[in-house]
Amino acid sequence: MMLQRVGAIAVSDDPLHVPRACDGRAPDVFRPGGWVQMRQYRENEPVDFAIVGTGAGGGTLACKLAEYGFSIVAFDAGPYFRPLEDFASDESEQTKLYWTDDRIVDGANPLQLGSNNSGKAVGGSTVHFAMVSLRFRPEWFKSRTMLGYGADWPLDWREMWDYYTEVEQALKISGPVTYPWGPPRPRYPYRAHPLNGAARALAKGCEALGIKWTETPLATLSAPRGLAHPCVYRGFCVTGCSTNAKQSALVTWIPRAIAAGAEIRDLAMVGRIEVEPSGLVSGVHYHRDGAWRFQRARNVVVAGYAIETPRLLLNSATPRFPDGLANSSGLVGKNLMAQSNQAVWGRLEHEVRSYKGPPSLAITEHWNYEDKGKDFFGGYSYMSQGPLPQLWANTLFSARGLWGDRLVEAMKDYNHVVGLKIVGEMLPQESNRVTLADEVDQYGLRIPRVTYSWCDNDKRLIDHSLKFMRRALEAVDATDTWIQDDDTCHLNGTARMGSDAHTSVVDVDCRSWDIPNLWICDGSVFPTVGGANPSLTIQAIACRTADRIRALARQGSMRRANILSMQRG
Amino acid sequence: MRLPGERDLIVMAGIAGFSMALVSMLSAASAPAARSDTRLAPRRNRSSQAQTVETARKLNRAAGMLAASVLADSSVEHYRGSFKNKAMYTPLLVSALTMATSLHGTADMRPFAHKARDATYLVAAATGLVGSGFHLYNVGKRVGGFSWQNLFYGAPLGAPMAILLSGLLGFCSERVREAGRTRPRIFGLPAGRAIAAVAGAGLLGTTGEAGLLHFRGAYHNPFMLLPVTLPPIGAALLLSAAGDRSGRTHCVARSWMRLLRAMGLAGVGFHAYGVSRNMGGWRNWSQNILSGPPIPAPPSFAGLALAGLAALGLMRAHPDA
Repeated sequence: MMLQRVGAIAVSDDPLHVPRACDGRAPDVFRPGGWVQMRQYRENEPVDFAIVGTGAGGGTLACKLAEYGFSIVAFDAGPYFRPLEDFASDESEQTKLYWTDDRIVDGANPLQLGSNNSGKAVGGSTVHFAMVSLRFRPEWFKSRTMLGYGADWPLDWREMWDYYTEVEQALKISGPVTYPWGPPRPRYPYRAHPLNGAARALAKGCEALGIKWTETPLATLSAPRGLAHPCVYRGFCVTGCSTNAKQSALVTWIPRAIAAGAEIRDLAMVGRIEVEPSGLVSGVHYHRDGAWRFQRARNVVVAGYAIETPRLLLNSATPRFPDGLANSSGLVGKNLMAQSNQAVWGRLEHEVRSYKGPPSLAITEHWNYEDKGKDFFGGYSYMSQGPLPQLWANTLFSARGLWGDRLVEAMKDYNHVVGLKIVGEMLPQESNRVTLADEVDQYGLRIPRVTYSWCDNDKRLIDHSLKFMRRALEAVDATDTWIQDDDTCHLNGTARMGSDAHTSVVDVDCRSWDIPNLWICDGSVFPTVGGANPSLTIQAIACRTADRIRALARQGSMRRANILSMQRG
Repeated sequence: MRLPGERDLIVMAGIAGFSMALVSMLSAASAPAARSDTRLAPRRNRSSQAQTVETARKLNRAAGMLAASVLADSSVEHYRGSFKNKAMYTPLLVSALTMATSLHGTADMRPFAHKARDATYLVAAATGLVGSGFHLYNVGKRVGGFSWQNLFYGAPLGAPMAILLSGLLGFCSERVREAGRTRPRIFGLPAGRAIAAVAGAGLLGTTGEAGLLHFRGAYHNPFMLLPVTLPPIGAALLLSAAGDRSGRTHCVARSWMRLLRAMGLAGVGFHAYGVSRNMGGWRNWSQNILSGPPIPAPPSFAGLALAGLAALGLMRAHPDA
């Protein structure tokens, strides 16, 4: 019977509709048509951890926990792609990497969802992320106490510094020989990539304005690594790397997880977490192969990113937890934080060809580390840009209203376009939130409503950055500069960590205050976002969480701690 | 199929020339190497004229090996740079000329310096100096100046030194050759020791170049450590031999030079493997030869090792050389 199924899968190899990780094997992402052995678990025997999501949080945690000897099943609603075969140099085709299910957005500044801030694939949005791998500024972990805004993290930056190192080594980050900001860090395992024309423009602008810049630490290889080739500077990074140079969760943590005995279930949408009468969770209901199924588990980890994580917790409400799971604080879904992603664009007389190579090869974190001269809280970094042609045409249309002949004329200048774009800190506000709408999606699950409005501080930060970047572009003789003032990236918050059960959803170990065998491990746990791309921090937190879980298990206190915290609750 | 353009033809000719030269250098190099294996005391009674000519020919061979490496390397790298500056053709022409001159010298048994060879070698040395200036200028003008980024990806600062060394060794060769009946001297210095010092310094410089570029590759393969560990030891042995007046035969130094020669040639294989590890491997050769490790670069070590061997041989024949 098993043989027949293997044959059936080989015949209809459509990753978007037929699961690939079945029958004891998963795709080998490094070999066209290849497979790796994968352990499989029975649904009616509880695994140690059912992990919902396989991106920066879930993928990393699945790997680390499997390597520590726990039995793991990790679910992802998206397909299990083979980058060498499934990824085209075609922006439209590659929208298959995005989470484009129905959602409702509202608020004064509704978020644009469904592209750079979402991912629906094994590996999550790391499959198409821009690979920017930054550490947080240490003070951000205590931003309330030290900088006077936001909320303090329960984590200590010195501990995080070690976990950052672990992730940088695991992803063979290519970075500068010395990093110009923050406390010392170990040398990046691989050297920085060569700068492209857009990055050189950023560098010249910074030098003209007297601030530091550096090569961006990137999760793409500058030298061979095992079966993965070094980057060929194809430039399609944010639509999926077809050479495996990008060190996404799909080609790093997930293969390690499978080798260590984890099972990955692709095209498996988790719709509800089951809660026992005791108040503990006992497994997850998930939709796969056209049917709802149930996987028993001793612990459940939610790692669905800042929209799907609260949605699942809210959709799992029971009579005992009528407001959703882990929500005694009422904060599940609240304090959603995007990051501002405004840009200044211009034209250089000489060709830039900004689309060559990774899009953000140079960066300045000056305004993350400099507190003087600001009329706002928080910080921002800005990076060189390399928009692909379709995105660029869309930007010209949506931000400048160009169409017809004017759009064609503007596109003729594509090779001369130069731009700078921020990743800016937005402050946590309870009114920015994810709630459930009454409409349901294709699985019959209530869809999320995402409400977002900028606060005055957000606007001041954006304003500051746009003025500064305009000066930076004009300093390199860019002409026709214009501002793209409405864009956001990255989603965090909605299940913040903290040291008080009344003001946070999870504790420092990413364990929910209310249900001791329910964990949340992704960008949702961020109390603040900083002005740096979050992926490295998410992965560092996942590594730490895995270590803490192992430590708790070694003490034999997983269950005992459960009871203790239950009593406290 | 698209016909190859002018530039492609030049590069293909460069690569072909490199291959031919490598083969001829190697076949010539293997014979005397076997003969010199006998660990005899200095053969003072041997005809000093024949000895100096043989040493001179060995030096021609070393200079030719370096020139061949420069020809192929600068062909590939300057092709990659689209010969943006017309001056980028210079090292191709000069190294080709130097290689031809060296082949001529290797075949020439006469104990006289050759004016055309002398001139060519001096031009080669001058090209190395001017080239270094060009490369310094290229790195310095890039945004960030002399930063790691520009040292990694700008014009390689050490590369033009190879043609300078080739010219110097060739020049030395002519001085040794014409000194048939007297003690070979170069600028008043004992020739054997001077050449040993030049080769030793060359090894150190080439180590610097390999170290920089292998650091750029993050030493991802442990074998990348070999060319930054073995040559400095060889350089130390050569330099100590240059300063040693005890008349010893320096068999450790000679063995080390043979090791470096082997390493330089094995490096071609390692770099060919490195090319295969880029996307598409050798099937995508036209791209990967440019983006992978430079295949013609490692024989520079072999060329310098040959020069070191020649110098040590000369010192054995003429303890006061």
